[in-house]
Amino acid sequence: MSRPRHALRAAGVAALVVVAAVLPSFISDYHALEWATVGTYFIALLGLNVLTGYSGQISLGHGAFMAVGGYTSAILMAHHGVRDLWTIPLAGLVAGGAGLLFGLPALRLSGLYLALATFAVAVAFPALVKKFEHFTGGSMGLILNLPKAPGGLHLSSNDWLYYLSWGIGFALLGLGALVSRGRIGRSFRAIRDSEVAAASSGVSPAFYKTLAFGISAFYAGIGGSLVAIETAYVNPQTFPITLSLFLVVGVAVGGLGSLVGCIFGAALIEFLPTVAPDIARHAPSAIRDQVTPSVIQGLILVLVMLILPGGVAGLARLLENRALGPRFER
Amino acid sequence: MAEFWQQVVAGLASGGIYASLALALVLIYRSTGVINFAQGEMATFATYLAWTFMHHGFSFWPAFFLTLVCAFAGGVAIERVVVRPVENRPVLTVVLVTIGLLVLINGLTSSIWGGAVRKFPSPFSTRPIHVAGVAFSIQDIGIIGVSLAAVLVLGAFFRFTKLGLALRAAAVNPGASRLVGVRVSWMLALGWGLASALGAVSGMMVAPVVFLDPNMMQGILLYAFAAAVLGGLDSPLGAVVGGLTLGVLLNLLGTYVSTLGGEMRLVAGLAVILAVLIVRPSGLLGKAAVRRV
Amino acid sequence: MAMSRPLRIAAVVLAAAVAAAGAGAARQATPGVTSDSILLGGTAPLSGEASAGAGVAKGAEAYFKYVNDQGGVFGRKITYKYLDDGYEPQRTFLAMRQLVQQDGVFAMFNTLGTNNNVAIRSFLNQQDVPQLFVASGATTFGRDAKQYPWTIGYIPTYKAEAEVYARYILKTKPRAKIAVLYQDDEYGQDLVSGLQSGLGNKAKQIVKKVGYDPTSSDVKSEVAQLKASKANVFMIFAFGKFAIQAFIYANQLGWHPQIFVNDVASATSLMVLSPAKATEGAISIVFGKDPDLALWKSDKGMKLFGRIMKRYDPGDNPNGYHIAGMASAYTMVDALRKAGKNLTRKGVMNAATHLNEKGNPFVLPGIVVRTTPTFRYPVSQVKLQRWHKGHWVIFGPLLSAKP
Repeated sequence: MSRPRHALRAAGVAALVVVAAVLPSFISDYHALEWATVGTYFIALLGLNVLTGYSGQISLGHGAFMAVGGYTSAILMAHHGVRDLWTIPLAGLVAGGAGLLFGLPALRLSGLYLALATFAVAVAFPALVKKFEHFTGGSMGLILNLPKAPGGLHLSSNDWLYYLSWGIGFALLGLGALVSRGRIGRSFRAIRDSEVAAASSGVSPAFYKTLAFGISAFYAGIGGSLVAIETAYVNPQTFPITLSLFLVVGVAVGGLGSLVGCIFGAALIEFLPTVAPDIARHAPSAIRDQVTPSVIQGLILVLVMLILPGGVAGLARLLENRALGPRFER
Repeated sequence: MAEFWQQVVAGLASGGIYASLALALVLIYRSTGVINFAQGEMATFATYLAWTFMHHGFSFWPAFFLTLVCAFAGGVAIERVVVRPVENRPVLTVVLVTIGLLVLINGLTSSIWGGAVRKFPSPFSTRPIHVAGVAFSIQDIGIIGVSLAAVLVLGAFFRFTKLGLALRAAAVNPGASRLVGVRVSWMLALGWGLASALGAVSGMMVAPVVFLDPNMMQGILLYAFAAAVLGGLDSPLGAVVGGLTLGVLLNLLGTYVSTLGGEMRLVAGLAVILAVLIVRPSGLLGKAAVRRV
Repeated sequence: MAMSRPLRIAAVVLAAAVAAAGAGAARQATPGVTSDSILLGGTAPLSGEASAGAGVAKGAEAYFKYVNDQGGVFGRKITYKYLDDGYEPQRTFLAMRQLVQQDGVFAMFNTLGTNNNVAIRSFLNQQDVPQLFVASGATTFGRDAKQYPWTIGYIPTYKAEAEVYARYILKTKPRAKIAVLYQDDEYGQDLVSGLQSGLGNKAKQIVKKVGYDPTSSDVKSEVAQLKASKANVFMIFAFGKFAIQAFIYANQLGWHPQIFVNDVASATSLMVLSPAKATEGAISIVFGKDPDLALWKSDKGMKLFGRIMKRYDPGDNPNGYHIAGMASAYTMVDALRKAGKNLTRKGVMNAATHLNEKGNPFVLPGIVVRTTPTFRYPVSQVKLQRWHKGHWVIFGPLLSAKP
């Protein structure tokens, strides 16, 4: 990567971190919570982007891995009295383990078959949760303690959640960037572009494809754990099928293969349902009855994919190339 | 024993429902290479159109065929307006567009016709027939019959007509098809139109059984996906076999494995499908994908 | 977190300034209440699978508008702000936080759905925000007052409803063999547990119970299993179209037991979708007035309902959801009046737990909406009704539906 390009990107990320750090001072307590939720989606999207953007495997069931993380945290907190903070890494590890396990059979499947198999997992998960009622609270769910900043930190609970999720989010962003630049990331990309070529140069597709599932599920698990902590409640509908679908949309909106772009995808997931009713209210009165929030949501989703097929990152790359001149792709 | 056969017959009837929508999914996969998440919502919308025609005095069959025409036109229009611009993007982008369409069309259906459950007339008799203690109706057989007829018609269309051949060619190898004079882009639109019409058939067959509401097809779509994957995403016959197998499998699991009541039945069914896929990654009757290096 | 030193100082200064500004402003006595307004919050599924339930919020809103045009409550106009949650508890939670922390609502009212209300209950109780007249029949909202003193339910609980059926079966068919179809979630399970506790030591007369998956296409397999049990009483604890399918399919199989269908699935608009002979003789409970029932055509309450809907929610097709919402809005206004001119959250909670409301025009005549601090089931009287020749016929006396 050329020097000015590198500097430009480093400056961009640094600016983002700074903005994120001071944002709670400028927004209301409630908006801090909203942005904390964006942070949880951001983390899950980072993971999904590792899987889809780097290793080229499509998952339409990542909500299920979030659910594994969320329930791990919830069970540890509700049944074993573990403090919420400590459950976060454990949730990531358990979900990551589940991801590795699922990654094995997934090796046999490719393309849309894999997409549908993962979708099936997301469909089946709520039923499994209900089946193990003893641990999971069944369809009633588990009620947890409300989150509170640790003593010594004078933060409102919403600000605390905000810093928690974005602190972890940026740490995992850094980790993701390291992984994707290193040997593992190169292997992922090699497999995505051609499994045969990768195998012939000594990269084991089976190993790396499974690993990609594990890593991405680890991220999703941490995101899910934060969701559970934030809402202090999990039930089988906390991670609905629609969430799994929206996560994929989020990755595409941010841009496949762009980790920072995930922020935009996460914001879309969080704000689309709340913005849509406001837009619907301003529809011309002649068609107001037809223009419901769902219609607006659908329209936005379709339009975003049409206008930004490469996601926000694609757009950014376009602008960057215009400013600094084109560069040779790899 | 009568109970066993009753469950099999009921499973076939439900399986016929899954199969009919799975066929539309298979058709669009075969002719455009994507899975269409909006397929169920398009079918529901078309079924509401048929309901509206009948509400305004049409009798069943004229309304049925009028709806097919509308659904075909609608499918072509969707392809032209929202799918075409992303035609050359990765498959995932097109799939995501269909997810957007799912939300959009469902919203439109609810806002136009409201959320109330409605009755939809059946072209077949619903009078029960009892054979050796097992009850079924002409309607149950009718749904399966229509699906099988669709398989035959589709098979003949793809195999024996020039248009069908062109459609297949355009999906498999767009570049070469273009060279031999196939208008690839219009073939994709045609594929969408046909799938949309087939989905409409499914909606109008299913609505008398499950009743019409804006979310009628949402649950069924999940089962249709499962049926299509089980049978092989590119095989129309596979869709029907997959659907019927799934219907019977779920019923027998639910009835005879007592711990699998309620929702666990679906989980078990999906696990079976996953197992089948591990052995045959392209489904029961699907062709193994040849990967280009 | 990487933050440069000057920036950190700037942030601290800014935060301090914001805090000071907040402290300086005159503190409002009660959030959401001014001399001429009351702001109530709620959520409803305006989109998604359960969007038919949005009528509960719309009916309530229409009634508040009507009350406002009559002068409001002590001169205060009620604004009912309800947000879409798509029936997803996660979204209910965020919407509630917006309403409480951003909009500063006085209380949450009439939120629809069991999980949706559980999702917001802890927070509301921690913040001392009333969670009034929850639109769910789960027992927990009335039962767990010690832990959640700011929460109260409204409609008869599902458990109590099933107990009413159980008592009726014991009285009229003591040797019944009972088959149960139930939706496999907390709603269906509540009904099943009520049936079992109502039957007491006769609970073993339930010869078969089968749960169905609400995402499935039909309940044919489940009904066939139940028929094979040779039961002569069939309980349909289902939702919407699954209940109709159960009626039709039982009939198709040549199975003609005495059928009971739970309240939520018993709307006339649903029942008429099934052939008359499949539903004839089915029994359900009733506590609200059904807009589709000819019996109420000249009823004063029903006429009022019709007028309010026409005026304040035109274009909507008035149904049972609207009238249910209106009934609880009536009780809400009643509680606000009782809470007095000096409206506080404590005051309204006190009023809501000391109700003795006779003559709510939207529920059956004779039902008294009554609560005490330890008894938090506002509507706990019902009647039985039997489906006959295309409409419900109410029979028998008012029955207690106390859990």
